[in-house]
Amino acid sequence: MAGATHVFPQAWPRSAAWRRRGFRRALTFYLLISPWLIGFVLLGAIPLAGAFVMSFTNYDGLNLDYLSFVGADNYTRALGDADAQYALGRTLLLMAFVVPVGLALQLALALMVNQKIQFSNFFRTIFYLPYVIPVVASVWIWKIFVDPTGGLLNALIGTVLPEANIRWLVEYPTAVLALLTVWAAAGGGMVVFLAGLQGIPAEYREAAMIDGASRTQVTRYITLPLLTPVIFFNLVTGIIVALQILVQPMLLSPGILGLNPGTVPPRDNYLYAVHAYIEIFTKQLFGYGSALLWVLFAVVLGLTVLLFKTSRRWVFYGVEP
Amino acid sequence: MSGISRRKVLIGAGAIAATAAAAPILAACQPAKTGGSGKVVVMTDPNEFNDDDRKTLEAATKLKIEVVASNLTTLYAMWAAGNPPDVFRVQAAGVPQYISRKMVKNLQPYFANSKLLKPDDLAPANNFYKWDGKTIGTGDLYGMVKDWSPDFTLYAYTKAFDDAGVKVPSDTTPLTYDELRDVAKKVNKKDAGKRVYWGFVHSNNDGWIDRTAMNMLAEKNQTLYSADFSKLVISGNPEATKVIRYLYDLAADGVNQTPIDPSPNWMGADFNEGQIALLQYGYWFSAMAESDKTKGKTVFLPAPTWAGVRRDPTMTATGWVISSQTKDADAAWAVFEQYMGGKPAQDRAKSGWGVPGLKSLYPQMPQESAFQKQVQKVLQGELGKSDFILQFNPYIGEETFATSWKKNLEPALKGSISFDKFVQNIESEVNTAIADGKRIIGG
Repeated sequence: MAGATHVFPQAWPRSAAWRRRGFRRALTFYLLISPWLIGFVLLGAIPLAGAFVMSFTNYDGLNLDYLSFVGADNYTRALGDADAQYALGRTLLLMAFVVPVGLALQLALALMVNQKIQFSNFFRTIFYLPYVIPVVASVWIWKIFVDPTGGLLNALIGTVLPEANIRWLVEYPTAVLALLTVWAAAGGGMVVFLAGLQGIPAEYREAAMIDGASRTQVTRYITLPLLTPVIFFNLVTGIIVALQILVQPMLLSPGILGLNPGTVPPRDNYLYAVHAYIEIFTKQLFGYGSALLWVLFAVVLGLTVLLFKTSRRWVFYGVEP
Repeated sequence: MSGISRRKVLIGAGAIAATAAAAPILAACQPAKTGGSGKVVVMTDPNEFNDDDRKTLEAATKLKIEVVASNLTTLYAMWAAGNPPDVFRVQAAGVPQYISRKMVKNLQPYFANSKLLKPDDLAPANNFYKWDGKTIGTGDLYGMVKDWSPDFTLYAYTKAFDDAGVKVPSDTTPLTYDELRDVAKKVNKKDAGKRVYWGFVHSNNDGWIDRTAMNMLAEKNQTLYSADFSKLVISGNPEATKVIRYLYDLAADGVNQTPIDPSPNWMGADFNEGQIALLQYGYWFSAMAESDKTKGKTVFLPAPTWAGVRRDPTMTATGWVISSQTKDADAAWAVFEQYMGGKPAQDRAKSGWGVPGLKSLYPQMPQESAFQKQVQKVLQGELGKSDFILQFNPYIGEETFATSWKKNLEPALKGSISFDKFVQNIESEVNTAIADGKRIIGG
C-alpha cells in the first residue's frame, strides 16, 4: 500500500485530465447522436415494443375497455391464415423480380454515369429524380402512363397495333407494380453504387489495363469483386423494402387515388403488408395485425441472416473487422 | 472501398431493418392533436366544412375549432393513440359499431335541452343515430345527420338513351330492379373495346354494396344477418342469395364498374363526363349532376323496387357524433349544435347538397332551375318512402362486407372461383370478422 500511496499522487493528475477529456468526448458523442437516438427510442423502439405487446392482445384500436390478453392466439391464427400465406407468396414473387432486376439496373446506371462523358451530371440528376418524387406522384404518373384510353404506353403500342387496348392495371397489375418499384428505386441504388465505384482506387484498373486486361475483364475481375459490399448492402435493403411494399399496390388500385380502408388492390397485387393493413384498418384487428407484422419481421430477419451467412462466400471486404 | 467494412455494413443493415420493420406500426401510432377546454377538434370532410363555417361557428360559440380532415385510417390511429377528435364525421353503417364500443357520447340530454335542435323537427334519417342497446332506430340519440338523401334514386343521362334508341325511364313510375337491369344492358356501350357508356353504376363503386343489398332485402322483410347479428346469412337464405346473385350479375353483365372493368375516376365524375347512362346516387348528387356535358341531358328518377314495396331511405346518413372521450363535452356540443341547427345548416339546405337534417329547413332547398324543379318533384315523392332504416351489424366495421365483396369479385368475374365459392368466401370472411367483434365487445 505504501508503494501505492507513493505512486497515486503522480498518477492522479494525469488520470483526472484524461477522465475530463474522456467525459467531454463522450458527452460530445452522445450530444451529436442524441437527435437520432431520441427519435429512434420514441418513434422506433417504443412503438415496436408497444406493437409487440399489442400482438398478444385483442386490441381493436378503438377502445381500451375491451382489451384483454389472448396469449399466442394471434400468432397461431397468422400461421394458419390462407390470405396471409397467399399474400406472402405474392410478395416473395414480387421481391424475386424487383430485387435482382433493380440491382442490375442500378449498377448499370451507376457504371454508365461513372464514365467521363458529357452531361454526366445531367444524366445523374435525371436517373435520380424518380427516387425523390413522392410515392403518390409516382403512382399517379404511372396510372396516367398505363391508362388504357389516354395512356402513353397504349398510344405507343397503338402505333404498331392500332387495335390494342391493353388494360394494364387489370390484366398485368403485378408487372406494372414491379416496373414502378424498380423505376422508383433505381436512382437511390445508383447513387450508392456510384459512391462504391468512386471508392475503388483507379490504380487497380490502370494496373490491370497495363497488363492487357480488357474493359470487360476489368469490370468482371476488378470492379465487381471490390463492389460486392455495396451489392450486398443494396441487396439487403432491397429485400427489406420489397417485402414491405404497401402504398404502391393500394394506390395503383382502380378508382380514386387514396389509401383508405375499403381499398382493395387487384388480387395479383394483394401483398403481405396490404393484408396486414386491411386486418388493422378495415377490420380493426390491431392486435392480430401487429402479429402479422411481427411474422413479417421474422421473415425479414431470417432472409437477412441467410444473406449474411452466404456473404462470407462472395462479399469481398477491403478491411476486415 | 477501404471505408466499407463488414461491421459497418452489418450495423447499417441492422438499423435499416429495424427502422423499416417499424414503419407500418409507426404509421398507426402517430400522435394526434387533443381537444380540451376552449378548443374543439372536429374531424370532418373539408368539403363539407369550409373556412367560413369554421369562422361562423367560432364566432357563435367563442371556441377555437381545429379541423382534421376526415379519414377512417386517421380516425382509428387517433383512437389508437388515445386522443380521438372531440367531434367526428360518421356514416350510418359505422354508427352501431361506434355506439356499441362506447366510442360516442349519448346526446339525449343535450337534445332535450336544445333550442335549435328540437326532437319533433328532426328528419327521419336521424333515426340512424338512435340506439336502444340492441338495435338502431329507437332509443336515445347519439348523433345527427348533417344532411341526408333518399339514396336509391337514379340519374339518367338522356344522350346515352338517345344513342341506344331506348326510351328514358319515367320519373313518375319507378322501375323494378329487373327492368333496370334490362335497360342497363341496352344502353351499355363499348366501341372497339373502349368504354362509351356504363349501363348502370351503383353502390358507390361497391363501397356500399351491403347497403344496397340490405335495402332490397328489406322489401321482403329480410336482412343479410341473423336476428342477433351473429352471422351473415346468404347461402342459407334464398332471398338473400337472389339479391346477391342479382348484384353479381350486374357486374358479370359488364354494365357496372368492376375490378375487371374499372374506371380511374369515381362514378360521379364519370357521370359528369357523360360516361354513365344510369347512376344510383341520392338527392345530394343533384347539386353537381349537371356538368357542361350533362346539362340539359340529366333526369332524376325515383328509386327502383325489388319486390313492389318501395323503400328509399338514406344509406349514408352522414353526420356528426361526439367522442365519449372528449375532454369538454359542453364545448363539443356547442359546436355540434350550431353546425346542425345554426347558420351553416341553413347554408347547406340552400346549397342543395342534401336534404336538411331538420324538417323546418326543407323549404330552403333550391328550386330555381328546370332541373332543380324536376328533382324536387321526384324528391317529394321519395321523402314519403324514406322513413326506414337499415340495421347495420354492430360487430363489424362499415367497410368489412364491401372489402370482402371487392376482394372476391375479381377472381369470380375472371372465372377463378364460382359464384357459390364467391358467396362462401364472403360469408366466411365476414363471419370471422363478426366473431372477432363479438369476442372483443361481448354479446
